[in-house]
Amino acid sequence: MSGASGPQLHINGDRTSGQDVRTQNTTAVLAVANILKSSLGPVGLDKMLVDDIGDVTISNDGATILKLLEVEHPAAKILVDLADLQDQEVGDGTTSVVIFASELLKRGNDLVRSKIHPTSILSGFRLAMREACKYVEENLAISTDTLGKDTLLNAARTAMSSKIVGSEADFFGNIVVEAVTSVKTTSEQGKTKYPVSAINILKAHGKSLKDSQLLDGYALNLGRAAQGMPKRVEGARIACLDMNLQKARMHMGVQVLVSDPAELEKIRERESDITRERIQKIIDAGANVILTTKGIDDMSLKYFVEAGAIACRRVPKEDLKRVARATGASIVMTLADMEGQESFDAVNLGSAEEVAEETVSDNDVIMVRRPRNTRAVTVLLRGANDYLLDEVDRSLHDAFCIVKRVLESGRVVPGGGAVEAALNVYLENFATTLGSREQLAIAEFADALLIIPKTLAVNAAKDATELVAKLRAYHFTAQKHLAKFGLDLIEGTVRDNVDAGVLEPALSKLKIIQFATEAAITILRIDDLIRLAPEPEEGEE
Amino acid sequence: MMQAPVTVLQTNTRRDTGKKAQYGNILAAKAVADIVRTTLGPRAMLKMLLDANGGIVLTNDGNAILREIDVSHPAAKSIIELSRTQDEAVGDGTTSVIILAGEMLAAAEPFLERNLHPTVIIRAYMRALEDALRLVDAAAFPIDVQDRDQMLKIVNSCIGTKFTQRLGNLVADLALDAVQLVKVDVPGGTPEIDLKKWAKVEKIPGASLEDSRVLRGVMFEKDVVVPGRMRRKIANPRILLLDCPLEYKKGENQTNVELAKEEDWAALLKLEEDWVARTCAQIAALKPDLVITEKGLSDLAAHYLTKAGISAIRRLRKTDNNRIARAAGATIVSRPDEATERDIGTGAGLFEVRKIGDEFWTFIVDCEDPKACSIVLRGASKDVLNEVERNLHDAMGVARNVVLDPRLVPGGGAVEMAVSHGLAELSTAGGVLGNEQAAYRAVGAALEVIPRTLASNCGANVIRTISKLRAAHAEKSSSFGINGNTGKVEDMRELGVWEPYEVKAQTLKTAVEAATLLLRIDDIVSGLKKRGGGGGKGGGVPQVDSGENVDSEHMLQE
Repeated sequence: MSGASGPQLHINGDRTSGQDVRTQNTTAVLAVANILKSSLGPVGLDKMLVDDIGDVTISNDGATILKLLEVEHPAAKILVDLADLQDQEVGDGTTSVVIFASELLKRGNDLVRSKIHPTSILSGFRLAMREACKYVEENLAISTDTLGKDTLLNAARTAMSSKIVGSEADFFGNIVVEAVTSVKTTSEQGKTKYPVSAINILKAHGKSLKDSQLLDGYALNLGRAAQGMPKRVEGARIACLDMNLQKARMHMGVQVLVSDPAELEKIRERESDITRERIQKIIDAGANVILTTKGIDDMSLKYFVEAGAIACRRVPKEDLKRVARATGASIVMTLADMEGQESFDAVNLGSAEEVAEETVSDNDVIMVRRPRNTRAVTVLLRGANDYLLDEVDRSLHDAFCIVKRVLESGRVVPGGGAVEAALNVYLENFATTLGSREQLAIAEFADALLIIPKTLAVNAAKDATELVAKLRAYHFTAQKHLAKFGLDLIEGTVRDNVDAGVLEPALSKLKIIQFATEAAITILRIDDLIRLAPEPEEGEE
Repeated sequence: MMQAPVTVLQTNTRRDTGKKAQYGNILAAKAVADIVRTTLGPRAMLKMLLDANGGIVLTNDGNAILREIDVSHPAAKSIIELSRTQDEAVGDGTTSVIILAGEMLAAAEPFLERNLHPTVIIRAYMRALEDALRLVDAAAFPIDVQDRDQMLKIVNSCIGTKFTQRLGNLVADLALDAVQLVKVDVPGGTPEIDLKKWAKVEKIPGASLEDSRVLRGVMFEKDVVVPGRMRRKIANPRILLLDCPLEYKKGENQTNVELAKEEDWAALLKLEEDWVARTCAQIAALKPDLVITEKGLSDLAAHYLTKAGISAIRRLRKTDNNRIARAAGATIVSRPDEATERDIGTGAGLFEVRKIGDEFWTFIVDCEDPKACSIVLRGASKDVLNEVERNLHDAMGVARNVVLDPRLVPGGGAVEMAVSHGLAELSTAGGVLGNEQAAYRAVGAALEVIPRTLASNCGANVIRTISKLRAAHAEKSSSFGINGNTGKVEDMRELGVWEPYEVKAQTLKTAVEAATLLLRIDDIVSGLKKRGGGGGKGGGVPQVDSGENVDSEHMLQE
């Protein structure tokens, strides 16, 4: 096709194709993975990200880092999405998935360079992925029933070991496990669920990380609307409103035209009365805690004060939804009923044993205790400053997700590179049984898996080559038994990671392998990159 | 095969990685610590800061200094945040926390140079923190909160570093009074002390500092609406508090009136007047001596109220109103027609408007059981007053902490030295093994920065003093510290220099945790664009009025 460029296809922009684009993509993806590499594992370090205003984020979470990094290259962007996907699906393992995907891509690219057609590489990768997943499920995953009570705690600890809370992993592990297990809900179909969203995380300056605590009940980070309201209501009946309790006003510039001056005064009266009647209806229905996402007039507050009810205005919608779910309330948008009248049905009320305002550090919070439906809990984080708290928040979220996955799937695999090493040995054997071109791709896939233990060892400043070789040797001999051996990164040795309590949910590992392979395949399939020049804007030179 | 360079990240971002990032962070923290170093201890110097508007801040309060400083290094920002946290949490020790955090990071530098992994250092630090807190616990002892002399001594020794120390017990007295006033005992729980809500500091230039005092009640800068015709001094006033306007306010709906007859116009005006008259009559029926509203009060209403012999004050701040309500035992009423006898506050002994300087000040004082108060500060100039206010703020923080947790530790660097000594002993006793040991000891060594700074700030021979102090602690007399005035090593127990346990513990926790946060960083990416979160979304959609804007008033269309 030489010399055919130009007039046939006019593109206002750059076009790269063939091997060039593959190499380019690989370089870009590797660059992204290299940024993340040093944050993997229990001895990984954090990144500090500063935006142009000067706001600082300190994080160890792969997805967070990539989201803030503003990656420009299109292929590298796929990786960012990949990390995001992993974050949504599993909640942890975002760094591993990116590192593994980039390694796969690198090896795939090398194969293409040695003149193997991409499609056979892709089918090889796919086959390897399927085999790997099958092997993990059949041979590596251990049911939590056989492991005893500490499994959850261990999984939480493993998830947090790489984060800033790593040194306090025991302490936070307990908080996490207790939080997740206490929000357990069983649906009508008998399915148990652990909604992580029912766990609220509240951050307050001061004290130290170890002073963080698990509070029973859902905490709303705001105070009562008026000081005259009671501080504590027991046997709370909660009304969740998404409407204004201010003087009634017509929407969108509706004008009222009156000809009799006396009418004007009546309109004014009516405005206040409408609200008063509304409030009265809500209170009459039995509500003694009123939460609304909108405003409440100072004028209207008095009715609540007189009724001895707690009212809170400007409750964040997200919080209100959660409170509604936990207490069995339904969020009311309007009081209008089918008959054209206004009414408030007591069915809409949720209930909780107690609602109280408490002072936490410098802030007032409203605690909703022991709601009807689920046990809502709040983790109150204390710490030196905002950056620290934000990072702890992210770390805890990861840990919540991990514990939830373990509870829901009930299967774990040993961490510390154990699964990767086992798969590597297995896939290599598997590859030799195939007489087709896919053999090469599968072998490369097997080698690519080793990047995880390698990176772990490198981050810990250990001899990666020796350690990984030792690990593989263990797995080669132990292939028939359960392969539980992984790396101990503090001591730099190989140990039984199930005994040591380094556990990850099997689901997380499976998803890492699946997502990474898919992403690598997507990028490897590309053989042409067209980048259009931005349209010159009018008026500009 | 040559190929075009691949840009992965945006070109305008800057990246520091590895050692460079780590040293950069340490350097930044040290720089911040150096700024406030000279403001520690009784021989502290003040800083004068000029802000962008040409205003002057004259202070030696760590938090106040750092708040004004504009730093660009992210790590420095993180360090500065610490002093804010400290201020919020305990109200004192803002300087020490910065110095300590800087020193903790500096102490880690040699280990990084020797290629010790940051996570190892962090583990050691956290362990040292735990042990250090135990040691501080051991050094602490309880006191009697009711003993005023002892309390005074404590508060005084804590604010001894400040400008106001020359004024004797003044600030300490004020702080103690205020804290005692607003303290509310919760049955079966820790007492509630909310200084932010219930104790307000009013600064009035003029007179001398000795004239400052804590009122048994509330004061604010307002005068009655009609001076001369309304009473300015009432003993045992009946007070009615409102948060609604006493003037005719248009409705929320847009209402247009079409008038056909001329008389209707008069009727319309009359309607408004009638409304005001009726409202005032409702108020007058309750026989209050004083009406205070947060909103407006029209001339007409003022007229009616004057006629009824009621003094009125308008446009009071919500927070002030809350304080009056608490001091005088009144309930804030939002609709005059719903006010009842119960809402009237009768707890105040005296209402008086006084002219101080050029301004009129309203006093509602001599309350029976105030539980809310104003603190009046007098002094030569605004700058002095501002500094006194900051000192007072610290003093109140100390007083509150002691009341909440009545445990003390010896000051003057004594407790730091004791912890440092204790950590060194623990580490050699075999508690910490391996490569963590050195970092663990470093925490102890870093704590010496406090007595060291104290010594150097008062001009003593630092090395000689510190070694003497170390020797004293080796002989198991853990209350020896540095007399910040003379630079001598003395027993802090005898000297009476104390600090609340809360403050010390918080300082240690914050400093070590912040240091570990920064030590974990090995990569700094700066210059990222702020993602436009809400900017793009829904920008072009016409806004539906959802009543979000509570304060907007809609005018009738002409």
